[in-house]
Amino acid sequence: MREDEYHLDDPTWCRGCGLFAVFASLKKAAASLNLSPEDMAVITGIGCHGRFNNYFRAYGFHGLHGRPLPVATGVKLANKGLSVLVISGDGDAYSIGLGHFIHSVRRNVNLTHIVVNNSVYALTEGQTSPTSQQGFVSISTPAGSKEMPLDGLVLALASGAKFVSRGFSGNPKQLTSLLKAAMTHDGYSLLEVLSPCVTHNKVNTYKWFQSKIYDVDRDPEYDSRNRSRALALFQNQEKLPVGLIFREKGSSFDDLSLPGQIPIAFTDLKVEADRLNKLLEKFE
Amino acid sequence: MISGYAGDGVLFTGNVLGKILKRQGWEVVTYRDFPSNIRGEATNYTIRASLEKIHGRGDAIDVLMAFDCDAILRHIKSLAPGGVILCEGEATETLRPAERKGKTFHKFPMRELARKNFKNEIYKNSILLGGLCYILNLDFQVIEKIISEVFLERKGEEVVENNIEAVNLGCEQAKMIIEDQERHNLIERPDKGRIFLSGNETIAFGALAAGCRFFAAYPICPASEIWQWLVHVFPDFNGLVVQAEDEIAAINMALGASYAGVRSMTSTSGPGASLMMEGFSLAGMAEIPVVIAHVQRAGPSTGLPTKSEQSDLNMWVFGSHGDFPRIVLSPGTIEELFEFTVTAFNLADKYQCPVIILTEQNYGQNFYTVDNFDLSKVHIDRAMLLSQEELLKKKDYKRYELTSDGISPRAIPSLKNGVHLVESVEHNERGYRDEDPAVRVRMMQKRMKKLKSASRDLIPPKFWGTEEASIGVIGFGSTVSPISEAMGHLAEQGIPSKYLQIRTLWPFPAKKTERFMTSCEHVFVVENNYSGQLSALIQGQGIECSKVIKVTKYSGHTFRPVEISSAILKALKR
Repeated sequence: MREDEYHLDDPTWCRGCGLFAVFASLKKAAASLNLSPEDMAVITGIGCHGRFNNYFRAYGFHGLHGRPLPVATGVKLANKGLSVLVISGDGDAYSIGLGHFIHSVRRNVNLTHIVVNNSVYALTEGQTSPTSQQGFVSISTPAGSKEMPLDGLVLALASGAKFVSRGFSGNPKQLTSLLKAAMTHDGYSLLEVLSPCVTHNKVNTYKWFQSKIYDVDRDPEYDSRNRSRALALFQNQEKLPVGLIFREKGSSFDDLSLPGQIPIAFTDLKVEADRLNKLLEKFE
Repeated sequence: MISGYAGDGVLFTGNVLGKILKRQGWEVVTYRDFPSNIRGEATNYTIRASLEKIHGRGDAIDVLMAFDCDAILRHIKSLAPGGVILCEGEATETLRPAERKGKTFHKFPMRELARKNFKNEIYKNSILLGGLCYILNLDFQVIEKIISEVFLERKGEEVVENNIEAVNLGCEQAKMIIEDQERHNLIERPDKGRIFLSGNETIAFGALAAGCRFFAAYPICPASEIWQWLVHVFPDFNGLVVQAEDEIAAINMALGASYAGVRSMTSTSGPGASLMMEGFSLAGMAEIPVVIAHVQRAGPSTGLPTKSEQSDLNMWVFGSHGDFPRIVLSPGTIEELFEFTVTAFNLADKYQCPVIILTEQNYGQNFYTVDNFDLSKVHIDRAMLLSQEELLKKKDYKRYELTSDGISPRAIPSLKNGVHLVESVEHNERGYRDEDPAVRVRMMQKRMKKLKSASRDLIPPKFWGTEEASIGVIGFGSTVSPISEAMGHLAEQGIPSKYLQIRTLWPFPAKKTERFMTSCEHVFVVENNYSGQLSALIQGQGIECSKVIKVTKYSGHTFRPVEISSAILKALKR
């Protein structure tokens, strides 16, 4: 596949927005995995990332704020032949949709979940988000945020996630390879992208991220098969771990629960009356 | 009625008795009144048997089997003249003579006999069944067969034998104390081509027959039995049930699966429905078919989770943000519950909007005898869902194409030549975000137009009674039973009446309702809620409502027919 097969339109995000790197990397990853746009479903939440469907060509569902994961769960279970991607923001995944996030980890449906984390509510003009640092000054917390930030990767690891990774918009090459790894993982895969918002977040800039990042992919000593080692990475508040943090094999929900070979969406609904009547015998 | 405390086995015993009566060939209706608690509070199980078709619990109790004396105090007022009470204890002295008059009391030591003979109180239930079987003159072979059906697989032969012995014991005990005139002779009749099931099981079966293959829900009383039936049968039909983390997820999962081409459903009640409001609006905007079965319990808030009410009409007719098309069906009998469930899936596919099956705990969790469902009437119509061949012929596929009836052809993911976006944001024909006022107006009109187009397909109100009558009753849902029997009470007094059963609550059948009301001198709108939501809905249609008298009940219980007929008589006297 050629990358331009997925290019529907030129994005209109702010110049310098981290989402451009996600867009470019996703086109590259999809092309190298040879996925046709017809076989991809991209489910998005509400936020700047939610414009993805207007630029990326594939089947798409732009639903409600915080709800792309359950929609994607329905889509994937209905048609297991589809490659299903969820793109959400930190507000989507870690605030209003936090319950869906943890339960999607537990459920382990074969989805790729990209959380574009810019630590701010950008589309609504810059409020504090659940990943904003304590003290973050914004229109919603003019005296600085009093709440502690949460880390979605720690939550995922603690909830039994089998694929946990983090990329950075400032490193599109790594982002592409993480995307490919996430999209080929069988089961729920989390890829958080540290994605600077150049308009509303003057704290977490490209430069700031570059100074904080610790890339496990460059550490030959690091073992991404060890969950406790992965969790230990997050003890150091000074460093932001990126790369393939944790991966293990396991049966996906799809493998465990889908009843047949044929995707549910293509089930022949003509059922002989005898088969149905047989079920009524229990009520006699 | 069998009455005791939760944990006594009242529900189980009642279910078995219902089945025995059904096998004897009778029309059976149950009325299960149980607390939202596993143990320790009063549970009352009314079983009504009749030679004629019945849909509800009726007016009075003929036989009361009481596990304790409190049950007598609770139900003495509902006991029919000549009624018989069998009770574990004797403490009836608290009753006033007027309350005792015309009723017979017997000590029936179920617990004591169970302890003495089986060293296990659990057998009190089968002893009670034996007593009832003597009073009702039921066929012992039928009882033996059902007991073995119920226990053999789960508990083994010894338990079956013990239970049969307990039934015998109860029967012998009853023989010693019951006079012949206290017995009822429920003669055996043929039981062919009939089933005995709950409304929730009916919805589940209807969904399966209609081609539903994806179901997501969150546990809630009194709707969970729909899921609990489907979860067993779906695997054999390539279907899937998913337990969602909450109702928000449940409806969004159903929408995702439906977008991908599967007939999808969720079910809920009270607070769960409130959580679904967000997704309900999404279904309307994105034009995704979905069927929502709402089994109403008494609200507001957590309310009475296992009791019946009709107070969620407003939420589905008017609920959620923005204007969008929705269809709300209101089945009035178990047969209609089956038919309307099938219809709901066809309407959802055809009009690409949410369709609600609005029923009540009274139907959802009670058991009814019905003739085997007529599967020859089940037609699955996927309407504008495009096949790959059809889609390949399209030159320029647009998901939200403007058409004369507002309905656009629907493609599903993975098909060639159909790539598109479904959008919750206002969008153009292609599904892409568009805030142009002209586009907004066109798309709004397109979506709302579908309801006008749907009017020819909607289930019309059903007329009951005498055309010339000047007294009219209007109701929806499971009030069919008490209203139709109340009309019988009025007829006995020489007062003819008629009844309009509203079967589609939205779009509301305003013209037919207005015509009906114009032909009446008095209109009684009967509903199980406080404010009279149906009355308000009628009034909201601009129909002249000065002759409307509201008859409401909101105790968590359905109407008894006599409550409706007396309300009507009282109003007429004024």
